[in-house]
Amino acid sequence: MSCPYLEYRSSGDGYEFDTERPFCTVLETFVQPMRADICTGRYALEHGRDCEIYREHVGDGSD
Amino acid sequence: MGYDDYLAGEPVIITAALTGGVHGKEANPAIPETPAEIGEAAAAAEAAGAAVVHLHARRDTGERAFSTERFQAVTDAVRERTDDVIIQHSTGGTGAPLSVRRQPLQTDPAPEMASLDMGPLNRYDHLTSENPRGMVDELYDEMSERGIKPELEVFNDGHLNEVAGLLERRDLEEPVYATLIFGGGTLSPPHPRNLLNAIENLPEGALFNTLGFGPHQLPLTTMGLLVGGHVRVGLEDNVYYRRGELAESNAQLVARTVRLAEELERPVATPAQARSTLGL
Repeated sequence: MSCPYLEYRSSGDGYEFDTERPFCTVLETFVQPMRADICTGRYALEHGRDCEIYREHVGDGSD
Repeated sequence: MGYDDYLAGEPVIITAALTGGVHGKEANPAIPETPAEIGEAAAAAEAAGAAVVHLHARRDTGERAFSTERFQAVTDAVRERTDDVIIQHSTGGTGAPLSVRRQPLQTDPAPEMASLDMGPLNRYDHLTSENPRGMVDELYDEMSERGIKPELEVFNDGHLNEVAGLLERRDLEEPVYATLIFGGGTLSPPHPRNLLNAIENLPEGALFNTLGFGPHQLPLTTMGLLVGGHVRVGLEDNVYYRRGELAESNAQLVARTVRLAEELERPVATPAQARSTLGL
């Protein structure tokens, strides 16, 4: 399941790209490609477990 | 290999890590992402002095891709644009299963070399690239079957134990070629003494490649030149040319390494010389 804070945009945070790229609406920045696999839930990765940004945003930042 | 190889004028093999998969154009717009961009970057890196190009593949969105199809497009684009450079595919893939990680080995033709991560390392706060021994062995076996030279990626000193273990479990062709990697997190701390220590702990007869992330790329690869090692530079590992100034291209980073090698009277290996040294 994809992170609800993931969007695909071609501009934002001072950048303009030719194609849409993963964008984190919590941080308002483009997402690193490896982190985007967490956002999209690829390879059994899961934002609720694996992403500290999501966890902190929803108030579950502690281990 | 070591300081004697430097004194003997052993040519240095420069690997250009062109794109990677951790960061992309959001970190430096000069990072090549499409097959055409990666092919052009490979040609420029080869012209600047790189004998090996280390390749990853990406989706159209810049995100990581591991499929044979995507790697085929990248490797074809590189072959079309380069003369003789050695192609090395990554098999790294934090979070990805073995079935995905082995796909970069299945292009036609197979790459001459491929990376083989020697053990676990952490990513971000809650993610680990596990690289268990079973996966390492399976990837190595597929490389062996397809005639691909493994580049053993040693992210920390514990991975030197894993290299020794792999040599006990499998019959690797000589010379063993290991990349010593320095950076933050679970990587070896980036300090000259740790490079010297890692070299001391390599298996007898092994060749080594030197990789420092970020601001450690320049000093540690320069040290690698002086102690007879080979070196890896490129935008995968470091997006800056100097403090506060983004690198313009992979070729710019390769060209600086060539200038340093020439000042230090270390010849730069051609792809043909690199094939001879690596036993390809």
